[in-house]
Amino acid sequence: MNTVQSLPLLQNALTVGAILFSLGLVGILTRRNLIVMFLAAEMMLQGISVSLVAWSRYHGDWGGHVLVIFVLTVAACEAAVALVFVLQAFSRTGRLDAAAWQSLREANVARTVDHELPSIDTVPPRFPTLAPAGVLPPADENEPLQREHV
Amino acid sequence: MTPLPFAPLSSGPLLAGAVLATVASLWLLLPNGRDNASIRWLGSLLGLAALAAFIAAGRRLGGLGEEAVFLIVSLVAVISAAATIVSRSPVYAAIWFALSLAGVAGVLLVLGAQFLGVATIVVYAGAILVMFLFVLMLAQPAGLAPYDRVSNEPFLSALAGAVLLGVLSLSIGRLSAGPATCCQPPSRTAGSPSTASQSTTTPSAAAGEPAPAAGDTASVPAAGMTATAVDPLAENHVARLGGELFGRHLVAVEAAGVLLLVALIGAIAVVSRGEAALAGDTTPTRSAAGRSATR
Amino acid sequence: MQEFSPSTLLVLVPLLPLVGAILTVMLGRTLGAKAHLPAIAGIAAAAAVAVMLLAATARDVSPAHGPHAEAVRPVEMISTLWKWASFDAAYTPPEGSPATDARLTPRDLAASQDVRSFSIPVALRLDPLTATMLTIITCVGLLVAIYSTGYMHDDPGYPRFFALVAMFVFSMSMLVAASNFLLVYVFWEAVGACSYLLIGFWFTKPEAARAAKKAFLVNRVGDFGLAIAVFLLWMSYGTLDFHDTISPDGVIMPGILGQTRLADAAGYAGGAVGTAICLLLLLAACGKSAQLPLHVWLPDAMEGPTPASALIHAATMVTAGIYLITRSAPLFAACPGALTMVSIVGATTALVAALIGTVQNDLKRVLAYSTISQLGYMFASLGTGTLLGFTAAIFHLLTHACFKALLFLGAGSVMHAMGGVIDMRRFGGLRRVMPITAATFFVGAAALAGVAPFAGFFSKDEILAALHAKGWPAAHGDHHAMAVAGGPFHLAAFSTDATHATATAPAVGLDALDRPETWQILFWMSLVTAGLTAFYTFRAVFMTFTGPTRVPEGAHGHGGHDGHESYESPASMTWPLMILAVPSALVGWLLFSTNWLAHFLSATPSLTAPTVAATATPHVFHMDLAIQGTLAAAIGIVIAAIGHLGRRSDGPQLERFLGPLQTLFANKFYFDQIYSVFIVRPLEALALVAALFDRYVIDGTVDAIAGLPVALGGIVRRSQSGLLQRYALAGVMGVLAIVVLLAWQLRG
Repeated sequence: MNTVQSLPLLQNALTVGAILFSLGLVGILTRRNLIVMFLAAEMMLQGISVSLVAWSRYHGDWGGHVLVIFVLTVAACEAAVALVFVLQAFSRTGRLDAAAWQSLREANVARTVDHELPSIDTVPPRFPTLAPAGVLPPADENEPLQREHV
Repeated sequence: MTPLPFAPLSSGPLLAGAVLATVASLWLLLPNGRDNASIRWLGSLLGLAALAAFIAAGRRLGGLGEEAVFLIVSLVAVISAAATIVSRSPVYAAIWFALSLAGVAGVLLVLGAQFLGVATIVVYAGAILVMFLFVLMLAQPAGLAPYDRVSNEPFLSALAGAVLLGVLSLSIGRLSAGPATCCQPPSRTAGSPSTASQSTTTPSAAAGEPAPAAGDTASVPAAGMTATAVDPLAENHVARLGGELFGRHLVAVEAAGVLLLVALIGAIAVVSRGEAALAGDTTPTRSAAGRSATR
Repeated sequence: MQEFSPSTLLVLVPLLPLVGAILTVMLGRTLGAKAHLPAIAGIAAAAAVAVMLLAATARDVSPAHGPHAEAVRPVEMISTLWKWASFDAAYTPPEGSPATDARLTPRDLAASQDVRSFSIPVALRLDPLTATMLTIITCVGLLVAIYSTGYMHDDPGYPRFFALVAMFVFSMSMLVAASNFLLVYVFWEAVGACSYLLIGFWFTKPEAARAAKKAFLVNRVGDFGLAIAVFLLWMSYGTLDFHDTISPDGVIMPGILGQTRLADAAGYAGGAVGTAICLLLLLAACGKSAQLPLHVWLPDAMEGPTPASALIHAATMVTAGIYLITRSAPLFAACPGALTMVSIVGATTALVAALIGTVQNDLKRVLAYSTISQLGYMFASLGTGTLLGFTAAIFHLLTHACFKALLFLGAGSVMHAMGGVIDMRRFGGLRRVMPITAATFFVGAAALAGVAPFAGFFSKDEILAALHAKGWPAAHGDHHAMAVAGGPFHLAAFSTDATHATATAPAVGLDALDRPETWQILFWMSLVTAGLTAFYTFRAVFMTFTGPTRVPEGAHGHGGHDGHESYESPASMTWPLMILAVPSALVGWLLFSTNWLAHFLSATPSLTAPTVAATATPHVFHMDLAIQGTLAAAIGIVIAAIGHLGRRSDGPQLERFLGPLQTLFANKFYFDQIYSVFIVRPLEALALVAALFDRYVIDGTVDAIAGLPVALGGIVRRSQSGLLQRYALAGVMGVLAIVVLLAWQLRG
């Protein structure tokens, strides 16, 4: 089972890595939410990690493992710094929209406007709640207890 | 090793179908402003079809148990990854991503990387992802934001991703498919990859034409190894990985440590400076941010 | 004196004002109203050193031995500070081409065929001419600087003015002390730069800025001549040094004015090259000394501060041309045609400037034209080519420096008191309110007009005598047999071809001008000029200082001790006037009666050249000439008195008798207009064409080239939507294209 130099295992693992990488790429290119863009970027890193480990196993070499550890490290750094920037951007525009910064475009280029979106007609999902026990704490009527939709 | 029962991944029609199905599936599934359940079902089905095509094009592994485990963990990783990028809600996306990470960790474990599998769970799912969720809770407005309901150039992006996937798959398939498409008929009587790889290199060199680089470099190191050898990375795995890391790559480890420190300081500096800049800034965006944060 | 060697002292003369200038520049803002101290200290010390040097040089000159003195031993001292530039084998004459004039001696010819090295030693020289010039420069400079402390005292540019004056004294000292034509050229430009800066001192005034520019541009013409002359000198003589140098292997390299070449009767180039050199030097001198046709800058230069006008544009810098020609005397002596041109230019300038001066109403402009006229006198004297002519020119230079500085400072005093008004028609009778200024101005005017006991009389008399001797050689031949025997009226006999061809064959070209008739005309022109000088000088005196007392509104006086208001200038201004009045009155008689200066100057190496020294004449007083000169001056003064003495200066003028001539004079013979039409306008048209070409062709090409990327960028710019993910998609597409291409190429 734990045989080395298994070419099929390598190929299958590489395929998984490629699929993760491609999905991450599509996510980065399409999703407008900055947080989701970063999730997609992390996903690309995961694809790379899988590929590296697969090669490492195939060659019986530690290089891929070590490299993946560094990938983890750099990803942590990147996440910390990037999230700070995302928060800063959010506190300036009030949105997590990557297109919120299109004011950086050329002066004579028209603004790209989203099309009118239909309203959401789906029923908000119901989330499970615990059965009330004991005395109900006094609550502010105006404050929603939960988000309507996450 | 058993003989390869399936056609290689590079078989044209199968791969082309997989790519087309991927494009269509992603295009249908990605947020497009219309929340149409039937379209999403169609997209999901197409996605599963594409996945099936990839599985069909994949290779049999050594044993049934390993094959099943690999299949399950990789399916978890890939399907939840797809769900990550097509989820309208970023919170759902983050949770799908956590599941995808679990799948990836499983793949890593199957590949014999015990430490990395655990580390992925701990670092990513435990730390980074939680941080993402915190940020989402701080910044995400109630309900679906308009920008979460639309995508940027979904078709072109899906096409680009799928074509990239197709090209990568083609290259991966050619790791062993080189002789099959080359002048020499497949003479894979021996189950040993060493002979297979030797037969990979020889004809391309003899033919004098540029051999596929990936296939070449992949095959050559394997040439001198035996199929029966046990995984050299398996014994005392974590200890030897640590030895490797702190022996040969000590300087890089130190540099990575400095990088972490700098990122930490930088993040704090940017936060404090940004707040100082915003303190004198009484634009409505600040109040909007505050309102959405307190909600 | 004993402690310092003369060479040390010689270096100190330029060095001290330079240090003063630098200190003034550095400390000017700190010192404020005391900013004059470093400059004045430097110039004063330099003046003291210069007088010591004069005395030391005078000791070295052998005393005269009776009327027929032996050829005077040349006195010179060279102090080489360092070698500025040195190039071996700077020039190799082309094969087979006559690199030099055929008149050169065989030795020069041989030297000229050799490979020449080029070296510029920074060498200072001390000889009688330099000592005299240094004394004049530093002493007048000192008095002017002291005067300026009163005149300039509230000016915002006070430190700048003193820095420039000290800088000028440095430059001028170096100019007259340099022992190398290239150094002379360098400081020739330096004094021009100081002059430019001082004319444009009040640069916010458009007239001053324009006058400075005009002076600079007109001087460029002359400087161009000097540059070409320096090139020709190097080509002809293979060196630019004045003095002989001894190469390390002991060979004496003859300098242009060195003893070796001076002793050689055939040492100087005549013919076309020599004449070209001399005429180019004359052009340079004309530019700097404001002679026809380059005189137009000097009247406009009066826009500068009056002390600067007194120092630079009357006493010292404008005499640089006189100095240059005197220094180059052996060169000129080899080219009689060029010498005659010097006289013709000088006498014509003297007459024309005097005529213009008769109708000027601006006191400073009267003095400016008088300066041009007197410089013309000196040129006329130089052109005689005789020892008497050269020494008379320097003599007149000396006296002129005294009385013209005095007159200018007096005019400045008037201007200072009258609140900046200098138009003589707006004031009158000032002798009552400015007694010291009036008295000293009268002394200066008498000296300028050539009234008998005053300085100008003697120096002008010498000049007239020099001209007369050329015009009527026989008349002088009675007294000076030797001069006649030497043939002073045909200097060509002394020229380097050393033949008597000119005596038998008719002279050609410029040399044909050197005839007694020419000199007779020049003499009469000079005599008429003397009368005109007396007229316009005393016209100015009468208009300014006599008649009913009137002052312009802008003037503000202070209570006088005798009841009515006094406008007299402060002591710092009147003292220099009084000090200058003494030499203006006495120096002429002193120097003439003892003949000290002429004898002293004759020891200058340049003037000991055989061609010059042979024309030495005994020192006599020409009573007939003196009577003629005095008569001319008297007529001028009488006419001026008839027209202006005791009248209101804004009343009817004598000019009404002149009719159309008055228009001609008042318009300065239309020189400016002629230059404008024939030089300035065509150049402006050319400049306009060039500007249009630059703007539309060159700039158009550049703009078109610059527009190309802009246009291309305009196309690409459309894609800059500001949407991050669109950029990323474009990048991914590009990567994908490359990946697909690679995969296609690497297919099995």
